[in-house]
Amino acid sequence: MRDLAALQARFAAGLDAPVPETGTQDLFVGGTEQVRQRLGIYRGNARANAAKALAAAYPVIEKIVGPEFFSGLASEYQSRIPSVNGDLNEYGEAFAGFLADFPPAREIPYLADVARLEWRVHRAHYAADPGRFDPARLALVPPEHQLQLRLRLHPACHVLQCAYPVARIWEIHQDAFSGEFAVEFSGRPTNALVYRPRFRVEVAQISDAEAVFLRAASDGQTLDAALAAAQLSDATFNLGRMLSEWVQSSVIVDFGLNGE
Amino acid sequence: MSLLSSPDGNAEARGVGIGLRACHYGKFLGSHPPTDWVEVHSENYFGDGGYDLHVLEHVRSQYPVSLHGVALSLGSADGVRAAHLAKLKRLADRIEPALVSEHLCWGALGPRHFNDLLPLPYTREALAQIVSHVTQVQETLQRRILIENVSSYLQFRAHDMSEFYFLAELAKRSGCGILLDVNNVFVNSVNHGFDPGQALLEIPTQAVDEIHLAGHSAAGELLIDDHGSRVAPQVWNLYETACRRFGPVPTLIEWDTSIPPLDILLDEAAMAARISQAACA
Repeated sequence: MRDLAALQARFAAGLDAPVPETGTQDLFVGGTEQVRQRLGIYRGNARANAAKALAAAYPVIEKIVGPEFFSGLASEYQSRIPSVNGDLNEYGEAFAGFLADFPPAREIPYLADVARLEWRVHRAHYAADPGRFDPARLALVPPEHQLQLRLRLHPACHVLQCAYPVARIWEIHQDAFSGEFAVEFSGRPTNALVYRPRFRVEVAQISDAEAVFLRAASDGQTLDAALAAAQLSDATFNLGRMLSEWVQSSVIVDFGLNGE
Repeated sequence: MSLLSSPDGNAEARGVGIGLRACHYGKFLGSHPPTDWVEVHSENYFGDGGYDLHVLEHVRSQYPVSLHGVALSLGSADGVRAAHLAKLKRLADRIEPALVSEHLCWGALGPRHFNDLLPLPYTREALAQIVSHVTQVQETLQRRILIENVSSYLQFRAHDMSEFYFLAELAKRSGCGILLDVNNVFVNSVNHGFDPGQALLEIPTQAVDEIHLAGHSAAGELLIDDHGSRVAPQVWNLYETACRRFGPVPTLIEWDTSIPPLDILLDEAAMAARISQAACA
Protein backbone atom coordinates (compact mmCIF):
# COMPACT_ATOMS: atom_id res chain seq x y z
CA MET A 1 0.00 0.00 0.00
CA ARG A 2 1.43 3.39 -1.00
CA ASP A 3 -1.49 5.80 -1.28
CA LEU A 4 -0.88 8.59 1.27
CA ALA A 5 -4.51 8.97 2.33
CA ALA A 6 -4.86 5.21 2.83
CA LEU A 7 -1.59 4.95 4.76
CA GLN A 8 -2.60 7.79 7.04
CA ALA A 9 -6.10 6.40 7.56
CA ARG A 10 -4.65 3.08 8.70
CA PHE A 11 -2.03 4.75 10.90
CA ALA A 12 -4.81 6.90 12.43
CA ALA A 13 -6.97 3.83 13.05
CA GLY A 14 -4.04 2.16 14.79
CA LEU A 15 -3.59 5.20 17.04
CA ASP A 16 -7.23 5.31 18.08
CA ALA A 17 -7.86 1.56 18.33
CA PRO A 18 -8.69 0.33 21.84
CA VAL A 19 -5.65 -1.98 21.72
CA PRO A 20 -2.45 -1.40 19.75
CA GLU A 21 -2.49 -4.73 17.89
CA THR A 22 -4.90 -3.64 15.19
CA GLY A 23 -3.39 -4.56 11.91
CA THR A 24 -1.08 -1.61 11.29
CA GLN A 25 2.11 -3.64 11.67
CA ASP A 26 2.57 -4.29 7.97
CA LEU A 27 2.78 -0.51 7.29
CA PHE A 28 6.06 -0.15 9.13
CA VAL A 29 9.61 -1.41 9.04
CA GLY A 30 10.48 -3.82 11.85
CA GLY A 31 9.24 -6.94 13.62
CA THR A 32 5.72 -7.26 15.02
CA GLU A 33 6.70 -6.68 18.63
CA GLN A 34 8.96 -3.72 17.80
CA VAL A 35 6.28 -2.02 15.70
CA ARG A 36 3.64 -2.65 18.37
CA GLN A 37 5.88 -1.07 21.00
CA ARG A 38 6.76 1.94 18.88
CA LEU A 39 3.17 2.50 17.82
CA GLY A 40 2.47 2.52 21.56
CA ILE A 41 4.70 5.59 21.93
CA TYR A 42 2.59 7.53 19.43
CA ARG A 43 -0.63 6.30 21.03
CA GLY A 44 0.70 7.44 24.40
CA ASN A 45 1.81 10.85 23.07
CA ALA A 46 -1.58 11.65 21.58
CA ARG A 47 -3.37 10.68 24.77
CA ALA A 48 -0.87 12.42 27.05
CA ASN A 49 -1.09 15.66 25.08
CA ALA A 50 -4.89 15.71 25.25
CA ALA A 51 -4.85 14.74 28.94
CA LYS A 52 -2.44 17.60 29.66
CA ALA A 53 -4.78 20.00 27.89
CA LEU A 54 -7.73 18.81 29.99
CA ALA A 55 -5.75 19.15 33.21
CA ALA A 56 -4.77 22.70 32.21
CA ALA A 57 -8.40 23.63 31.54
CA TYR A 58 -9.89 21.91 34.62
CA PRO A 59 -7.49 22.35 37.56
CA VAL A 60 -10.31 22.59 40.13
CA ILE A 61 -11.96 19.38 38.92
CA GLU A 62 -8.55 17.71 39.22
CA LYS A 63 -8.18 19.00 42.79
CA ILE A 64 -11.67 17.85 43.75
CA VAL A 65 -11.37 14.30 42.42
CA GLY A 66 -7.59 13.83 42.79
CA PRO A 67 -5.06 13.23 40.00
CA GLU A 68 -5.68 9.51 39.68
CA PHE A 69 -9.44 9.72 39.20
CA PHE A 70 -8.97 12.76 36.96
CA SER A 71 -6.64 10.83 34.72
CA GLY A 72 -9.32 8.13 34.39
CA LEU A 73 -11.91 10.79 33.52
CA ALA A 74 -9.56 12.34 30.96
CA SER A 75 -8.95 8.98 29.37
CA GLU A 76 -12.66 8.14 29.14
CA TYR A 77 -13.45 11.62 27.79
CA GLN A 78 -10.84 11.26 25.06
CA SER A 79 -12.21 7.93 23.99
CA ARG A 80 -15.65 9.50 23.61
CA ILE A 81 -14.63 12.92 22.29
CA PRO A 82 -11.16 12.94 20.71
CA SER A 83 -9.35 16.16 19.83
CA VAL A 84 -10.30 17.74 16.52
CA ASN A 85 -8.31 20.96 16.83
CA GLY A 86 -4.62 21.75 16.39
CA ASP A 87 -4.96 24.28 19.20
CA LEU A 88 -5.20 22.15 22.34
CA ASN A 89 -6.35 25.19 24.32
CA GLU A 90 -9.69 24.60 22.60
CA TYR A 91 -9.91 20.96 23.64
CA GLY A 92 -12.30 19.92 26.40
CA GLU A 93 -15.37 22.04 25.71
CA ALA A 94 -17.77 19.13 26.24
CA PHE A 95 -16.18 17.95 29.51
CA ALA A 96 -19.06 19.28 31.66
CA GLY A 97 -21.62 17.41 29.59
CA PHE A 98 -19.50 14.28 29.82
CA LEU A 99 -19.26 14.57 33.63
CA ALA A 100 -23.02 15.02 33.89
CA ASP A 101 -23.48 11.85 31.88
CA PHE A 102 -20.73 9.58 33.22
CA PRO A 103 -21.98 7.57 36.25
CA PRO A 104 -18.70 7.51 38.26
CA ALA A 105 -18.48 11.33 38.00
CA ARG A 106 -22.14 11.84 38.92
CA GLU A 107 -21.39 10.69 42.44
CA ILE A 108 -20.14 14.24 43.01
CA PRO A 109 -23.28 16.10 41.94
CA TYR A 110 -21.73 19.57 41.53
CA LEU A 111 -18.81 18.38 39.38
CA ALA A 112 -20.45 19.17 36.02
CA ASP A 113 -21.37 22.68 37.16
CA VAL A 114 -17.80 23.34 38.29
CA ALA A 115 -16.59 22.13 34.89
CA ARG A 116 -18.96 24.53 33.11
CA LEU A 117 -17.46 27.36 35.14
CA GLU A 118 -13.89 26.21 34.57
CA TRP A 119 -14.35 26.07 30.80
CA ARG A 120 -15.48 29.71 30.83
CA VAL A 121 -12.53 30.64 33.03
CA HIS A 122 -10.16 28.79 30.70
CA ARG A 123 -11.52 30.45 27.55
CA ALA A 124 -11.61 33.87 29.25
CA HIS A 125 -7.82 33.64 29.44
CA TYR A 126 -7.64 33.83 25.61
CA ALA A 127 -10.40 36.39 25.03
CA ALA A 128 -9.65 39.63 23.19
CA ASP A 129 -8.36 42.73 25.00
CA PRO A 130 -10.90 45.53 24.62
CA GLY A 131 -10.04 49.09 25.58
CA ARG A 132 -11.22 50.39 28.94
CA PHE A 133 -14.56 52.14 29.42
CA ASP A 134 -14.24 55.82 28.58
CA PRO A 135 -16.28 57.95 31.00
CA ALA A 136 -15.63 61.07 28.89
CA ARG A 137 -17.52 59.48 26.01
CA LEU A 138 -20.44 58.73 28.31
CA ALA A 139 -20.49 62.36 29.49
CA LEU A 140 -21.18 63.42 25.90
CA VAL A 141 -24.45 61.46 25.81
CA PRO A 142 -27.38 63.70 26.79
CA PRO A 143 -28.99 62.39 30.01
CA GLU A 144 -32.33 61.84 28.28
CA HIS A 145 -30.65 59.37 25.89
CA GLN A 146 -28.60 57.49 28.45
CA LEU A 147 -31.23 54.85 29.15
CA GLN A 148 -31.16 53.96 25.45
CA LEU A 149 -27.51 52.94 25.63
CA ARG A 150 -26.52 49.37 24.94
CA LEU A 151 -23.68 48.30 27.20
CA ARG A 152 -20.84 46.16 25.85
CA LEU A 153 -19.40 43.50 28.08
CA HIS A 154 -15.76 42.40 28.02
CA PRO A 155 -15.47 39.38 25.69
CA ALA A 156 -14.07 37.34 28.59
CA CYS A 157 -17.27 37.87 30.64
CA HIS A 158 -19.79 35.16 31.15
CA VAL A 159 -22.70 34.66 33.53
CA LEU A 160 -23.58 31.11 34.54
CA GLN A 161 -26.54 29.92 36.50
CA CYS A 162 -25.83 26.73 38.42
CA ALA A 163 -27.67 24.51 40.85
CA TYR A 164 -24.64 24.60 43.17
CA PRO A 165 -22.54 27.44 44.65
CA VAL A 166 -19.80 26.99 42.05
CA ALA A 167 -18.18 30.40 42.49
CA ARG A 168 -17.48 29.51 46.14
CA ILE A 169 -16.32 25.99 45.25
CA TRP A 170 -13.97 27.51 42.66
CA GLU A 171 -12.70 30.12 45.13
CA ILE A 172 -11.73 27.69 47.90
CA HIS A 173 -9.79 25.52 45.43
CA GLN A 174 -7.53 28.36 44.25
CA ASP A 175 -3.87 27.99 45.23
CA ALA A 176 -3.85 31.39 46.91
CA PHE A 177 -7.00 30.75 48.98
CA SER A 178 -6.32 30.89 52.71
CA GLY A 179 -9.80 31.23 54.26
CA GLU A 180 -11.99 28.54 55.74
CA PHE A 181 -12.32 25.53 53.43
CA ALA A 182 -16.10 25.32 53.62
CA VAL A 183 -19.05 25.67 51.25
CA GLU A 184 -22.62 26.32 52.26
CA PHE A 185 -25.04 24.34 50.11
CA SER A 186 -28.33 26.23 50.37
CA GLY A 187 -30.12 24.22 47.71
CA ARG A 188 -30.88 27.45 45.79
CA PRO A 189 -29.44 28.06 42.33
CA THR A 190 -26.55 30.52 42.23
CA ASN A 191 -25.04 32.83 39.62
CA ALA A 192 -21.36 33.01 38.86
CA LEU A 193 -19.73 35.84 36.92
CA VAL A 194 -16.49 35.14 35.04
CA TYR A 195 -14.55 38.33 34.27
CA ARG A 196 -11.04 39.47 33.45
CA PRO A 197 -10.10 42.92 34.75
CA ARG A 198 -6.78 42.80 32.91
CA PHE A 199 -5.07 39.45 32.38
CA ARG A 200 -6.09 37.48 35.46
CA VAL A 201 -9.46 35.77 35.23
CA GLU A 202 -11.71 36.25 38.27
CA VAL A 203 -14.92 34.58 39.42
CA ALA A 204 -17.60 36.16 41.63
CA GLN A 205 -20.94 35.01 42.91
CA ILE A 206 -23.56 37.57 41.91
CA SER A 207 -27.22 38.12 42.74
CA ASP A 208 -30.14 37.07 40.53
CA ALA A 209 -30.84 40.70 39.61
CA GLU A 210 -27.21 41.31 38.64
CA ALA A 211 -27.22 38.15 36.54
CA VAL A 212 -30.46 39.17 34.83
CA PHE A 213 -29.06 42.63 34.10
CA LEU A 214 -25.76 41.38 32.67
CA ARG A 215 -27.45 38.74 30.55
CA ALA A 216 -29.85 41.34 29.13
CA ALA A 217 -26.96 43.72 28.43
CA SER A 218 -24.95 40.97 26.82
CA ASP A 219 -27.98 40.09 24.63
CA GLY A 220 -27.84 43.66 23.30
CA GLN A 221 -30.84 45.05 25.18
CA THR A 222 -30.91 48.74 26.09
CA LEU A 223 -29.95 49.96 29.55
CA ASP A 224 -33.64 50.71 30.09
CA ALA A 225 -34.76 47.18 29.28
CA ALA A 226 -31.93 45.53 31.23
CA LEU A 227 -32.74 47.70 34.24
CA ALA A 228 -36.45 46.85 34.08
CA ALA A 229 -35.61 43.13 33.93
CA ALA A 230 -33.24 43.43 36.90
CA GLN A 231 -35.77 45.40 38.96
CA LEU A 232 -38.37 42.76 38.29
CA SER A 233 -36.04 40.31 39.99
CA ASP A 234 -35.10 42.71 42.81
CA ALA A 235 -36.82 46.08 43.24
CA THR A 236 -33.85 47.42 45.20
CA PHE A 237 -31.31 46.77 42.37
CA ASN A 238 -28.96 49.77 42.48
CA LEU A 239 -27.98 50.60 38.91
CA GLY A 240 -25.53 53.41 39.70
CA ARG A 241 -23.55 51.38 42.20
CA MET A 242 -23.39 48.28 39.97
CA LEU A 243 -22.40 50.21 36.84
CA SER A 244 -19.54 51.87 38.63
CA GLU A 245 -18.38 48.52 40.04
CA TRP A 246 -18.61 46.81 36.65
CA VAL A 247 -16.79 49.59 34.84
CA GLN A 248 -14.11 49.45 37.54
CA SER A 249 -13.62 45.71 37.09
CA SER A 250 -13.83 45.87 33.26
CA VAL A 251 -17.02 43.81 33.11
CA ILE A 252 -18.47 46.69 31.09
CA VAL A 253 -15.97 48.11 28.62
CA ASP A 254 -17.98 50.19 26.17
CA PHE A 255 -21.42 51.22 25.02
CA GLY A 256 -23.31 51.93 21.83
CA LEU A 257 -26.17 54.28 21.09
CA ASN A 258 -28.88 54.07 18.41
CA GLY A 259 -28.00 50.59 17.33
CA GLU A 260 -24.23 51.25 16.96
CA MET B 1 25.88 37.05 22.14
CA SER B 2 24.69 40.61 21.97
CA LEU B 3 23.11 41.97 25.13
CA LEU B 4 21.24 44.70 23.38
CA SER B 5 19.00 44.13 20.43
CA SER B 6 17.57 47.31 19.05
CA PRO B 7 13.91 47.46 20.07
CA ASP B 8 11.59 46.33 17.32
CA GLY B 9 13.88 47.26 14.46
CA ASN B 10 16.18 44.27 14.46
CA ALA B 11 13.78 41.56 13.36
CA GLU B 12 16.37 39.18 11.98
CA ALA B 13 17.27 36.13 14.04
CA ARG B 14 21.06 35.71 14.30
CA GLY B 15 23.22 33.85 16.78
CA VAL B 16 21.65 31.61 19.40
CA GLY B 17 18.10 31.86 20.71
CA ILE B 18 16.07 30.00 23.29
CA GLY B 19 12.52 28.68 23.34
CA LEU B 20 10.31 30.99 25.39
CA ARG B 21 7.98 29.06 27.71
CA ALA B 22 5.37 30.39 30.15
CA CYS B 23 7.44 29.58 33.25
CA HIS B 24 10.04 32.15 32.12
CA TYR B 25 7.60 34.95 31.24
CA GLY B 26 8.43 36.77 34.48
CA LYS B 27 12.14 36.95 33.62
CA PHE B 28 11.36 38.41 30.20
CA LEU B 29 8.91 40.97 31.61
CA GLY B 30 11.11 42.04 34.50
CA SER B 31 14.54 42.01 32.87
CA HIS B 32 16.34 41.58 29.57
CA PRO B 33 17.80 38.05 29.55
CA PRO B 34 20.89 37.84 27.32
CA THR B 35 19.60 35.82 24.40
CA ASP B 36 19.87 36.80 20.74
CA TRP B 37 16.29 35.85 19.86
CA VAL B 38 13.41 33.71 21.06
CA GLU B 39 11.13 31.11 19.56
CA VAL B 40 7.61 30.22 20.67
CA HIS B 41 5.08 27.58 19.69
CA SER B 42 2.64 29.42 17.45
CA GLU B 43 -0.45 27.57 18.70
CA ASN B 44 0.07 28.83 22.26
CA TYR B 45 -0.72 32.32 20.93
CA PHE B 46 -3.79 31.53 18.83
CA GLY B 47 -6.13 33.32 21.25
CA ASP B 48 -7.84 36.62 20.46
CA GLY B 49 -5.96 38.33 23.29
CA GLY B 50 -4.95 37.86 26.91
CA TYR B 51 -1.77 37.38 28.87
CA ASP B 52 0.25 35.13 26.55
CA LEU B 53 -0.10 37.53 23.63
CA HIS B 54 0.63 40.47 25.91
CA VAL B 55 3.92 38.84 26.95
CA LEU B 56 4.78 37.87 23.38
CA GLU B 57 4.22 41.41 22.14
CA HIS B 58 6.44 42.74 24.91
CA VAL B 59 9.15 40.20 24.06
CA ARG B 60 8.78 41.03 20.36
CA SER B 61 9.52 44.69 21.16
CA GLN B 62 12.87 43.54 22.64
CA TYR B 63 13.98 40.55 20.54
CA PRO B 64 13.54 38.96 17.13
CA VAL B 65 10.83 36.29 17.48
CA SER B 66 10.42 33.04 15.60
CA LEU B 67 6.97 31.40 15.34
CA HIS B 68 7.35 27.64 15.40
CA GLY B 69 4.13 25.75 14.61
CA VAL B 70 3.44 22.26 15.84
CA ALA B 71 -0.03 21.46 14.51
CA LEU B 72 -0.51 22.72 10.95
CA SER B 73 -0.21 19.13 9.73
CA LEU B 74 1.40 19.99 6.41
CA GLY B 75 1.71 16.34 5.42
CA SER B 76 -1.97 15.43 5.73
CA ALA B 77 -3.36 13.80 2.60
CA ASP B 78 -6.53 15.88 2.99
CA GLY B 79 -4.66 19.17 3.12
CA VAL B 80 -4.05 22.02 5.53
CA ARG B 81 -6.91 23.06 7.83
CA ALA B 82 -8.00 26.50 6.64
CA ALA B 83 -9.03 27.70 10.13
CA HIS B 84 -5.64 26.76 11.57
CA LEU B 85 -3.79 28.51 8.77
CA ALA B 86 -5.98 31.61 9.23
CA LYS B 87 -5.03 31.76 12.92
CA LEU B 88 -1.36 31.42 12.05
CA LYS B 89 -1.70 34.25 9.56
CA ARG B 90 -3.42 36.45 12.12
CA LEU B 91 -0.61 35.77 14.60
CA ALA B 92 2.13 36.38 12.03
CA ASP B 93 0.50 39.67 11.00
CA ARG B 94 0.37 40.71 14.65
CA ILE B 95 3.90 39.67 15.67
CA GLU B 96 5.84 40.24 12.41
CA PRO B 97 8.20 37.39 13.25
CA ALA B 98 11.75 36.96 12.01
CA LEU B 99 11.04 33.33 11.12
CA VAL B 100 8.02 31.08 10.68
CA SER B 101 8.50 27.33 10.77
CA GLU B 102 6.62 24.04 10.83
CA HIS B 103 7.37 20.32 10.69
CA LEU B 104 7.86 17.64 8.07
CA CYS B 105 5.03 15.53 9.41
CA TRP B 106 1.29 15.10 9.66
CA GLY B 107 -0.99 15.12 12.69
CA ALA B 108 -4.56 15.38 11.49
CA LEU B 109 -6.82 13.42 9.19
CA GLY B 110 -10.48 14.12 8.55
CA PRO B 111 -11.92 15.70 11.66
CA ARG B 112 -9.37 14.05 14.00
CA HIS B 113 -6.29 15.87 15.29
CA PHE B 114 -3.69 13.78 17.13
CA ASN B 115 -1.75 16.85 18.31
CA ASP B 116 1.48 15.05 17.60
CA LEU B 117 4.21 15.05 14.94
CA LEU B 118 3.55 11.82 13.04
CA PRO B 119 6.05 10.57 10.45
CA LEU B 120 5.36 10.60 6.71
CA PRO B 121 6.07 7.92 4.13
CA TYR B 122 8.90 9.37 2.02
CA THR B 123 7.19 8.65 -1.28
CA ARG B 124 6.93 10.71 -4.46
CA GLU B 125 3.20 11.11 -3.83
CA ALA B 126 3.69 12.42 -0.28
CA LEU B 127 6.39 14.79 -1.57
CA ALA B 128 4.08 16.22 -4.24
CA GLN B 129 1.34 16.72 -1.65
CA ILE B 130 3.50 18.44 0.95
CA VAL B 131 5.13 20.64 -1.70
CA SER B 132 1.68 21.88 -2.63
CA HIS B 133 0.68 22.44 1.03
CA VAL B 134 3.89 24.31 1.85
CA THR B 135 3.37 26.44 -1.27
CA GLN B 136 -0.19 27.20 -0.16
CA VAL B 137 1.02 28.26 3.30
CA GLN B 138 3.79 30.44 1.86
CA GLU B 139 1.30 32.13 -0.46
CA THR B 140 -1.16 32.72 2.38
CA LEU B 141 1.47 34.09 4.75
CA GLN B 142 3.20 35.95 1.92
CA ARG B 143 6.56 34.72 3.17
CA ARG B 144 8.98 31.84 3.05
CA ILE B 145 8.66 29.29 5.82
CA LEU B 146 11.13 26.77 7.24
CA ILE B 147 10.39 23.07 7.56
CA GLU B 148 11.91 20.92 10.30
CA ASN B 149 12.85 17.24 10.23
CA VAL B 150 11.10 15.39 13.09
CA SER B 151 12.12 12.59 15.42
CA SER B 152 10.38 9.34 14.64
CA TYR B 153 9.89 5.92 16.14
CA LEU B 154 8.35 4.24 13.10
CA GLN B 155 9.37 4.16 9.45
CA PHE B 156 6.90 3.37 6.69
CA ARG B 157 7.78 0.42 4.50
CA ALA B 158 6.53 2.48 1.56
CA HIS B 159 9.31 4.87 0.57
CA ASP B 160 11.01 6.13 -2.59
CA MET B 161 13.78 8.15 -0.95
CA SER B 162 15.50 8.90 2.36
CA GLU B 163 14.10 11.36 4.89
CA PHE B 164 16.77 13.96 4.16
CA TYR B 165 16.61 13.64 0.39
CA PHE B 166 12.83 14.12 0.76
CA LEU B 167 13.36 17.25 2.89
CA ALA B 168 15.95 18.67 0.47
CA GLU B 169 13.57 18.06 -2.46
CA LEU B 170 10.74 19.76 -0.57
CA ALA B 171 12.95 22.81 -0.06
CA LYS B 172 14.03 22.83 -3.70
CA ARG B 173 10.51 22.49 -5.12
CA SER B 174 8.58 24.73 -2.71
CA GLY B 175 11.29 27.31 -2.06
CA CYS B 176 10.97 26.79 1.70
CA GLY B 177 14.02 26.76 3.95
CA ILE B 178 15.14 23.89 6.15
CA LEU B 179 15.07 23.99 9.92
CA LEU B 180 17.57 21.28 10.72
CA ASP B 181 16.95 19.69 14.11
CA VAL B 182 20.31 18.13 14.86
CA ASN B 183 18.96 16.24 17.87
CA ASN B 184 16.25 14.71 15.67
CA VAL B 185 18.86 13.63 13.11
CA PHE B 186 20.75 11.88 15.90
CA VAL B 187 17.63 10.34 17.49
CA ASN B 188 16.49 8.96 14.13
CA SER B 189 19.96 7.67 13.29
CA VAL B 190 19.79 5.52 16.41
CA ASN B 191 16.12 4.57 16.07
CA HIS B 192 16.36 3.63 12.41
CA GLY B 193 20.04 2.77 12.10
CA PHE B 194 21.79 5.19 9.76
CA ASP B 195 24.90 7.36 9.87
CA PRO B 196 23.87 10.87 11.01
CA GLY B 197 26.92 12.52 9.43
CA GLN B 198 25.99 10.98 6.06
CA ALA B 199 22.44 12.27 6.47
CA LEU B 200 23.73 15.85 6.72
CA LEU B 201 25.50 15.40 3.38
CA GLU B 202 22.13 14.87 1.68
CA ILE B 203 21.16 18.46 2.51
CA PRO B 204 22.54 21.20 0.25
CA THR B 205 24.90 23.57 2.08
CA GLN B 206 22.76 26.66 1.38
CA ALA B 207 19.40 25.11 2.30
CA VAL B 208 19.53 25.35 6.11
CA ASP B 209 18.20 28.56 7.69
CA GLU B 210 17.85 27.49 11.30
CA ILE B 211 19.15 24.75 13.58
CA HIS B 212 17.41 23.24 16.61
CA LEU B 213 19.18 21.62 19.55
CA ALA B 214 17.48 19.78 22.42
CA GLY B 215 17.92 16.89 24.80
CA HIS B 216 16.57 13.37 24.38
CA SER B 217 16.16 10.37 26.65
CA ALA B 218 16.60 6.64 26.17
CA ALA B 219 13.91 3.99 26.53
CA GLY B 220 15.74 0.73 26.03
CA GLU B 221 17.39 0.88 22.63
CA LEU B 222 15.03 3.60 21.46
CA LEU B 223 15.75 7.32 21.83
CA ILE B 224 12.83 9.55 22.76
CA ASP B 225 12.85 13.20 21.69
CA ASP B 226 11.45 14.63 24.93
CA HIS B 227 13.23 18.01 25.07
CA GLY B 228 13.70 17.41 28.78
CA SER B 229 17.46 17.61 29.37
CA ARG B 230 20.73 19.16 28.23
CA VAL B 231 21.94 18.54 24.70
CA ALA B 232 23.76 15.18 24.55
CA PRO B 233 27.54 15.08 23.79
CA GLN B 234 27.02 13.20 20.49
CA VAL B 235 24.52 15.86 19.44
CA TRP B 236 27.00 18.64 20.21
CA ASN B 237 29.49 16.80 17.97
CA LEU B 238 26.95 16.52 15.20
CA TYR B 239 26.12 20.22 15.67
CA GLU B 240 29.78 21.06 15.11
CA THR B 241 29.71 19.04 11.88
CA ALA B 242 26.52 20.85 10.85
CA CYS B 243 28.08 24.27 11.59
CA ARG B 244 31.05 23.43 9.36
CA ARG B 245 28.75 22.36 6.56
CA PHE B 246 25.99 24.96 6.81
CA GLY B 247 27.83 27.97 8.22
CA PRO B 248 26.70 30.34 10.99
CA VAL B 249 23.00 29.46 10.98
CA PRO B 250 20.71 30.85 13.74
CA THR B 251 20.47 28.16 16.38
CA LEU B 252 17.82 27.50 19.01
CA ILE B 253 17.92 25.68 22.35
CA GLU B 254 14.59 23.93 22.97
CA TRP B 255 13.43 22.59 26.34
CA ASP B 256 9.81 21.54 26.85
CA THR B 257 9.54 19.05 29.71
CA SER B 258 10.99 19.56 33.21
CA ILE B 259 11.96 23.06 32.11
CA PRO B 260 14.98 24.26 34.12
CA PRO B 261 15.81 27.77 35.36
CA LEU B 262 16.52 30.24 32.58
CA ASP B 263 20.24 30.26 33.41
CA ILE B 264 20.57 26.63 32.34
CA LEU B 265 19.01 27.45 28.96
CA LEU B 266 21.32 30.44 28.57
CA ASP B 267 24.25 28.22 29.49
CA GLU B 268 23.30 25.75 26.73
CA ALA B 269 22.93 28.68 24.33
CA ALA B 270 26.43 29.92 25.25
CA MET B 271 27.80 26.45 24.50
CA ALA B 272 26.11 26.48 21.08
CA ALA B 273 27.55 29.94 20.37
CA ARG B 274 31.09 28.76 21.25
CA ILE B 275 30.83 25.70 19.01
CA SER B 276 29.32 27.64 16.12
CA GLN B 277 31.92 30.41 16.32
CA ALA B 278 34.82 27.95 16.47
CA ALA B 279 33.44 25.83 13.62
CA CYS B 280 32.68 28.80 11.38
CA ALA B 281 35.89 30.74 12.12
